[in-house]
This record gives sequence, structure tokens and C-alpha cells, in this order.
Amino acid sequence: MQAENYSALHEFWTNLRAIPSHVYRAMFRGGPPKTDRTRSSFIFGNVFLHLHSVRTHLWSLRWSTTMGLGIVTTAAFLITLVTGILLMFYYKPYPDIAYQSIKDIHFIVPTGRFMRNIHRWAANVMVVAVILHMARAFYTASYRKPREFNWFIGWGLLVTTLGLSFTGYLLPWDQLAYWAITIGANIAQSPREITDAMGITQWMDIGGLQREILLGSDKVGEEALIRFYLLHVMILPLTLAMLMAVHFWRIRKDGGLAKPKDADERVAEEAKEFYPVFTDSPAKTYHLAAVVKGKTSAVDSGPEHTVPSMPHLFYAELGVLMLTTLICIGLAFISDAPLKELANPLVPENPAKAPWYFLGLQEIVSFSAFMGGIGIPMLCVIGLGLIPFLDREKEGTGEWFGGPGGWKLVKWSMVVGFASSILVEAFAIKFGWLREWFPDIPQLIITFVNPGTVLTAIYAAFSIWAVRKYNSTRAGALALFTCFLCGFIVLTVIGTYFRGPNWDFFWSPSDWGGH
Amino acid sequence: MNKNKYLLMVSSIGVFILLAAAAVSENFLKDWHGIQNSAKTNEGPIDVRLRQIVNPNLKVTDRCVTCHVGMASGEQISTDLKVGAVHKPVVHNPTEIGCTVCHGGQGQATEKDDAHGNVHFWTEPMLPAKYAYASCGTCHTPLNVPNLPTLENARKTFERLDCYACHRLDGKGGTLRPGGNVTGMEGPDLSHIGLKGYNAEWYSAHLQRSQQETNGAWKTSFSEISEPDRAALKIFLDTQMGAPKLVEAKAQFNTLGCAGCHAVGNFGGDAGINLSLSGFKDPNQLNFTRVPGEHTLSNWIVQHFRSPASTVAGSQMPVLGLTDNQIDLLTLYTLSLRRRTLPDLYLPKDRVRAMRFGAREFANNGETIYTAVCSSCHGANGQGTRFPGLVANPSITNPDFLSLASDEFLIQTIRSGRPGRPMLPWGERENGFTLDEIRGLVAYIRQLGGNVQATPDTQPQIWAKGDTALGANLFTENCAGCHGKNGVGGDGPALGNKAFLTNVTDTFLVGTIGRGRQGTVMQGFANPSPIRKVLTQAEIESIIVYLRSLNAK
Amino acid sequence: MTTHPGEKKSRFDPDPMPRRDFLGLAALGSMMAAFLLSIFGMLKLPKAAVSASPAKKFNVSIPDTLPEGEAFIPPGRNVAVFRDAEGVFAISTVCTHLGCIVKASPAGFDCPCHGSGFTKDGTVRKGPAPKPLPWLKVSLSGSTVTVDEEKTVKAGTKV
Repeated sequence: MQAENYSALHEFWTNLRAIPSHVYRAMFRGGPPKTDRTRSSFIFGNVFLHLHSVRTHLWSLRWSTTMGLGIVTTAAFLITLVTGILLMFYYKPYPDIAYQSIKDIHFIVPTGRFMRNIHRWAANVMVVAVILHMARAFYTASYRKPREFNWFIGWGLLVTTLGLSFTGYLLPWDQLAYWAITIGANIAQSPREITDAMGITQWMDIGGLQREILLGSDKVGEEALIRFYLLHVMILPLTLAMLMAVHFWRIRKDGGLAKPKDADERVAEEAKEFYPVFTDSPAKTYHLAAVVKGKTSAVDSGPEHTVPSMPHLFYAELGVLMLTTLICIGLAFISDAPLKELANPLVPENPAKAPWYFLGLQEIVSFSAFMGGIGIPMLCVIGLGLIPFLDREKEGTGEWFGGPGGWKLVKWSMVVGFASSILVEAFAIKFGWLREWFPDIPQLIITFVNPGTVLTAIYAAFSIWAVRKYNSTRAGALALFTCFLCGFIVLTVIGTYFRGPNWDFFWSPSDWGGH
Repeated sequence: MNKNKYLLMVSSIGVFILLAAAAVSENFLKDWHGIQNSAKTNEGPIDVRLRQIVNPNLKVTDRCVTCHVGMASGEQISTDLKVGAVHKPVVHNPTEIGCTVCHGGQGQATEKDDAHGNVHFWTEPMLPAKYAYASCGTCHTPLNVPNLPTLENARKTFERLDCYACHRLDGKGGTLRPGGNVTGMEGPDLSHIGLKGYNAEWYSAHLQRSQQETNGAWKTSFSEISEPDRAALKIFLDTQMGAPKLVEAKAQFNTLGCAGCHAVGNFGGDAGINLSLSGFKDPNQLNFTRVPGEHTLSNWIVQHFRSPASTVAGSQMPVLGLTDNQIDLLTLYTLSLRRRTLPDLYLPKDRVRAMRFGAREFANNGETIYTAVCSSCHGANGQGTRFPGLVANPSITNPDFLSLASDEFLIQTIRSGRPGRPMLPWGERENGFTLDEIRGLVAYIRQLGGNVQATPDTQPQIWAKGDTALGANLFTENCAGCHGKNGVGGDGPALGNKAFLTNVTDTFLVGTIGRGRQGTVMQGFANPSPIRKVLTQAEIESIIVYLRSLNAK
Repeated sequence: MTTHPGEKKSRFDPDPMPRRDFLGLAALGSMMAAFLLSIFGMLKLPKAAVSASPAKKFNVSIPDTLPEGEAFIPPGRNVAVFRDAEGVFAISTVCTHLGCIVKASPAGFDCPCHGSGFTKDGTVRKGPAPKPLPWLKVSLSGSTVTVDEEKTVKAGTKV
């Protein structure tokens, strides 16, 4: 029964006026995040935030722990996502017309030029950040149990990121794009170097198949463009988003960021600034969703100094997000994304260079297409993926350059890495390589003996020495990873700045001369 | 943990400032904003917005009219703003075909440097105003162009006969006729008469009309016209296509014998490069290391004409010693050698005739053919030439030569050329000369040589008798110095050349060896001389027998 | 277990936040400002600055054989040009209802989409069209007829 003076009309009027506050309350159930309880519900009541743990260890909030590189990568991805979607309003993936549409974006689309610049710079920032993030995870030995799988996912993210950047390279359909992709596609074809040498290409042409699937045709043309477009705007971003979700989820499920054993004692001083800081021991001995036996990875690790993620973690995350945005926008403000002449299949660029992060590979490719394009990269990729399963030691987890050898070993590895790569390159540039000395030498020998493989052998030898000296796999991994990183830097710099027309060595691009 | 808050705040403020700066520069600081803000029409200020000319058939999207706003479709700017001025009246409506078809440049751009195309990575910068007429060559191919003196003469004839009294031509004449004190009248505009075609019987129609009228321009400005003047007028009218400068440039090209070495379209020699698209080179692909001046295609071409070998390393092209005016005309012509893929709708008649029906781009009378093709090697007067480092080219108007060489010999020589030597088989190659053209050419050569006709020769082609071995010795001693071992040619012509030996008569050879060629290094070997051996008739015949034996090999 | 002196804390104690956090609010505020500005910029992008269609003002050459009162449709244009004793005029063939292209018929114009009908001078004869077909500005210079699709004139204006 209704009350006597009930008026449905009045009730309706009241409800109408209360719509904003009701909608707000329906969206954010817990009320303002002012107490510990509401702060927690702010996080687990929100689909976007609940990947975060409700509380964050103070160690994780230290700038030196991660340098925010993961968030930089994520932020750069979000920026490319937003600007990329905007660019899709005007981009038309068809040869020549694609180039015209980029010109339109440059000249008449409102904010178009700025968006394209930001997209381009954010893409580069993302590649740099993802590599640095990997190096951080490696040097702090964060890949160890129970985080092996997440390292694996991160490895997938690295490859997907490079793929995204590479596929985006073709879309403007200018000379730079066209010839970089032509080279990239021929690298995909390079297993032929092996199958040719073995004389089995006619039965098993893996290289040709890879190239054909990538290009959809025998040359870079409209089919290739639409394939690269599909990869760039659909397949790879979806893959990346999925892997990112898993990656974030696993951070939480693996017990937060890796910490040294004495992390709690080391943050005790900082903890005094905060209120409240929990020092209880994590005690959840079951998994969610049902009472399933088994402990989460943080259990049994003793009392911890944690603070509410809301707002402390979020300030850090938002700060890094905005810093990344600032960097991307600032770079976009200073420098326009390049656009060269319309792609011309008849006039090759000289030199035709791949995207900068592949120039190290292109440098090795100039000696052997297979080793540079497939062999050594595969070795690196497989080696990276297997690190957590080979290094199952405990010492130094969560510490920069942790583990046997430490910073001293890394320092010496840098010396070896830089010196050997510079020396081998200098030798090859000055004196040539096997083909120059013995013109009739079989290709198979060059495939296996070239500056790239020689460097790999030096690095391997040095790391074996480190394993034996420190009697530790981690020491070997530190040496090998550092050497490869230094080699990557040296080769990339040489490929970028010191290689000119016909891939000849030049001290400076101003010496390239006319065409 | 306040440092994270500071990080967030400082970064956010930075982002805000950069975004605001970008917004201001994009929405208010572009050059065209300023130009459109100061442009005014009679009805007041104009809308400040992007403007463009779009023609999907020509694949044109030209935003030039964003700054040159007076040329935009439907705009009438009355202001002293030079950049926004209205386009002067031209044949083609700029608001229909756009700007870049004629002027080059980057139509899509909205900023000056980019739009004018003087930036890296834009292959087709704007044509300099000086060479603007070169752009007509994008679509048009002027046909039947004579050489420059003939064209000049024809133009003067047109002026002398007072055709301007009634007819307009390139904006002059008709009621606006220049100079004259007699009022003119409005006759048909002849600016494009060469493209449109005209009544071949115009002269008799004019004459009839003139006889009917009693006064006015028909009486004062028209009277009987002589045969040669009518021929000159025909030449002049045939070349009128609205691009006088381009026709003049092409006439210059047809005066210097360029086609003897260079092909344009489907006709020309192959000693030099094919010039067909040489007006379309990408300046970024050219080597400017030894080229003084600005890095533009036109400057490159100018410097190349001044000194070919120092502009293009290894170029065989001789220094021609051209005047500045000649260089300008040739540069304009070279720049006009450009092409754009046109839809059928826009294909002009002259281009169809040149491309599909093989119409000649030069007038096919003997004189123009000689100046357009032969004069670079054989000289403007047929005196022969010699460029440093290249073989000498023989004189063909020498009276001694012309009196011995029959028309048949000359025709056959022009037709088959000299295989292996610079002289090409001009009658036997693709799109080569027709027999009629060669006859006209031979007649002109005789005219150049003072109308010397060949002495009739009743002998058979081969009649000389002698000893081959003796002839060989004599040849080595006396002739090989200039004509090369076994007659392969040196400074003198290649006498062992099969095409030559197949064609030449013994009478010609005996006469030439015996009497020589006056004015050249070839002396008469039968003439008495204190410094050189005198050959007897039998010795000369032996040399000829030896030469004939070379043909058998 | 470290605790602050004199206090015993548990994660289940709903403690109030410490004093107002001006720095945090300023940081969040500036971030929101930057966000709003960027969203404003992004919203500008989808609206094209200039439409990619040919000029609306164009020249027509009417065939000499065109009978009086019969429509001449220039190729690729949505305009019907007429010539009669009083002069030349042009009527848009874009239906004022929902933009279909009307067809010339003996009665005038008929729209194939929703059955609108117009008389020869563009007045609505039947159907849902709310307005008559607009007359377009025509100008003559010599024998060239120029039609401007963007400018309409009063019905009945002939030049």
C-alpha cells in the first residue's frame, strides 16, 4: 500500500532531479576514496584499475626500481593508439593514393600533421622504451621464478612492437617506405641462402614462402600495402593489447615487482612518511573464485611495507604517462615525420635503409642475408626467451646488476662488447671480408663465417669464461646480454650514421656526394 | 611521495602549453590566414578558409588558390595584394584544370616553399616565370615548326602585310592593333589557328571580299599577296597554337641540328641521349657538384648548354658556343619535353597527331630538315665541322663534291647512311625521312652549294681497272694517313665503308682523287705538286680497284 | 612488524585521509586541463577543412540542336540547363526531400526515391518534397554559359 500523501508525479520529479547523483553513485559505488576501505573498492570496483593490486610495496614505487619504463611503453602505446585511430580517418591504403592522403594529412587535415608527428615519435619512443624495459628486467634479474612466464610474454610484446613499427613504415608509400620494405621482405626470403647452398630450394623454399605471404605478391605492391595495413591497424594491435593484459595481470599474480630479500628493511625509512603503511604478512592461502587450495606467490614472504595503490601508485603512473606524452608532443613539435618522394619501383633509394632499429641487422645482412636477417636474430630471440629457464639461481633478484659478478662484470662485458664489435667492424670495413680475398669462395662458408657470426662467437666465448669464473649461469647471462646490447648499439650506429650509398663506409652523410 | 605529484603536475602543464602553442600556430599563424585576412572583394572581406581546385580527370588537387585566392573559383578579389591577384586571361580556365598542370609545383601543399616545390623530395618544382611557356609541352606538341630564320621571316611577313589590322594574335591586333594609324576591325582571332585549322581557300575568299568592299580595312589593309608571301603566311599560321615562345624555342631547336644526335619522341639521331622526357628530371637526382648557380633543373640545363662536359661527366656533347638568347630558347624547349598521362577527354589534337599518326614536329621542307637534322655535323652552310675529340664531318656543299655527286648518290647516301660512322641511315630507320623529304633535302643542299649540278655520267658504276696490290700500297702511302688503315676512316671519311662502296661510282672516285676538294685538306693527286707524289690515272684506278676489293671482304 | 609510536593499526581500521592534498589536486587538475585540450584538438580532426569535390562553378556548352523547353544535363552534373526565347536558365536536379537525383519527364521532374514530382519550373507537384527545386545562378559571357551550383536565384530568372 502506498502512503497517503504519496504523489507519483512528485516522486518522478525528485528522481528526475537526482539523476546526476544517482548515475554517479551507480558508476562509483564505494563513495569518494578517502578511507582505506573506499580506496580499495575504488580499485577493485573499476574494470580498468582492477589489474592493479590494491596495495603497492614501497620498493616498487622507488624511481630506481623500474624507472617507469613499463609505463612509458604502455603510455607510448596508448598515444600511438589514439593518434593512429585519428589518422585512419584520412589514410587510404592504396599505392600512390596512400601518399596523397599522407600529403593531405600533412597539409590540410586539422591537427593532422601534429597527430602524424606524435604518432611517429610515440612509435619510436615505444621501441626504445620496450628495449630499455627489457634491459631493466634483465639487469634486475626480475625474470626469475615465479616471473618466467611474464618474461616470456614481455618477449612477445617486444617482437610485436617491432612488428607494429615495421608494418607502419610502409604505409606512407614514399621512397623510404618502399625500399625499406623491399629490403625487409628480402630478409624474410633469406633462408634461401641456406636452401640454395644445400640445393633444396626447389623442394623446400621457406624463404620464398615467407616473402610471398608477407607481400601477397612477387613485389611490394598494392597487395603488400593492404597486408601491412591490416597487420598494422588490426592484427598486431589486438595481439599487443591481449599480451599487455596478460603481462599486467601476471605482474600482480606473480606477487608484484621483484624485490630484493631485504627490501622491507631498506624502505623502512621512507615508510615513515606514509600513513597508513601495512606491515602485515600477506596471508591469502587460497585462490579467488572458489576456495581452491594453493598459496599466492606473495605468501610466506614475511611482513611487507605496502601503501594503498590509490592514490600513491596512480600518481606515479599518471606522472609517467604525462611525461611520456610531453616527450612525444615535444618531439612532434620540433621535428616533422619524414615523407620522401612518391614510391618509385624503378629508382631505388641509395642507400635504402630499414627502420633504425633494424640497421644493426642490416649491417650484418650486408655480409650474409641469412645470418643477419634470420640466423642471429633467431639466436637472440630464442636465447632471450630461454633465459629464465636456464638461470634458476636466487642471488641478486630485484637488485640492479644483481647476481655473481655484478656491476664489475657488466662493466667488463661492456668493454668487451663495444671493443670487439668496433674492432671487427673496423677490420671488415678496412680490409673487406672473405669474398674480397677469395672471389670463388662458396656462399655457405660466408654464411657461417662473417663479422656477425664472429662477433657472436666472441660474445659466446666471453660468457662461457664468465660462467666458469663466477661458477654461475647468471654471470654468463649478464656477460652475454651486455655484449649483445653493446653490439646492437655499435652496429645500429654504424648502419645509421656511417653507411652511405652502396652501403659504403662514410665518416659523415655530408660526404655522400651527389647521386 | 610528493615527487610523483610534482612529476604529474609539471608534465601536464608542459603538455598543456605545447598543445596550446600547436593550436595557436595551426589556427592563426599560417601564412594563408594572413593573406586571406587582408584580401577584400567589392562586397567586403572574404571567408578565411582553405580553397582548392579539384579535377579528378586530370588527377589535380591544387590548393595554390588558398594563397592566390583571386584565382579561386568564384572569387573576385579587388585589393593591392599581389599574391591574391586574379589570373590574367588565358586559353585554359585555371579554375577547371588547376594550376600545377601548367606551372608545376606541389598542388596539395598549403605552405609557400612546399607549394612552389623548392623542397627536398618534391620532384617537380614550379617552372620559372621566364620558362612558363615550356609547360604547354606537358600536353601539346607543336607541329610543322620551321627553323628560326624562316619563322622570323614568316612573322615579319604577317606584320608587313598588316594582318594585325583585323586579326587578333596572342592578345594583339584587331581593333587593338599595334602602331597603325588606320582603325582596324574585328576579324577572327588567329592565336590558335594552327590547332583549329583554317580554310585553305582563305586567300581567294579574302581577295573576293576586298574587291567587293569600297572602303575600310578591307580596302586599306588588304591587297594581293605574292606567292612566296602566302607560303610564309601558311608557315606562320600552321605554327600558331597560343604559345609563341614555345614555338620560337622549338624553331631554335630546329635551327641548330640538334635532332641529328638527339631523338625527341619518335624521331632523331642516337648519338646523344633521347631527350623525350628531359624536361621532367628530378632536380634532387641531378649532380650539381660542378654546376654554378641555384640547384634548379632550368639552371642545370642552362649550365649544361654552356659547358656540357663539365656538367655531365663524360658527356660527348661539344661546346656549341651558343648565345645567351639561344641558350634561353633551348632551355625552354628542353623544359617543354615533359609529359603527363592525360585522359582522352583532354588529349589535344596535335599530340594525337604526333603520338598516334607520327606527324612531323618540324616542317618537312628541305631547308628545315637540313637545319634541324644535318646542320650540327655538316655545318649551317654545309661546310663541314670538326669538334675537338670527335671525327671530322665532311663538307657536303663543296662544288667539287656536288659536281661529281649525282642526286641518286646523295639520296642513297642519306637513305642508307654510313654504318659504323656517325652518319645514320636517315631514310631506312623507323620514322625516317620519306623519299620526297630526301629529295627536298638534296635540292636544298645543292642550293646551299650555289646550285652546282652533277655532271652527267654515262659510264657504268664500276669501270676502273688496275692492280689490287699496287693500289693497296699506294693507299697506305698516300691515303691511309687521313682515311685510315684499310679505309676505316680517320679525319677523312671511311672509304672502305660498304654502304659507300656499294653506292659510289668510279667516276666519282677518280674525279675526287684526281682533282681533290678545293678548300679542304683533300688535294688533287693528279695535280702537279712539289711536295707530294703525283698519281697517274692508272695508279688512281688501282687504288679504286683496291677499295672495291675491300667491299668484297 | 613496524608500527608508528603509540598507535596500533590494522588494515580494517577505516582511517580518514590526512589533511587536504593541494599538491595532488593541482597535479590532477593540470592533467585534466591537458586532457580536455587534447580531446578538443582531436575532435577537430574528423571535420575536413575542405571538401574534395570539383568546383561548383562550371562552364556549359549547350548543343545548338537542343529544342526549346527540353532539359540539357551537363555530363557529371546535377543540373538541368534550359534555353527558350527569353534566355538560358538552370534548375538543380537534386530533390529537396532527401537528395535523390530527379529525372526530367514530360510533366517536369520526377523523383525516383519517394515519388516527389516537380513541374518544369521546379514547383512541387506532388509527393513529400518540402521546397521547389532551386534555380541556379547562370551567367553568360559570349557563347559560354557559366552555372554556379552554390548560388541560387529567384525562380523565373533567365539570362
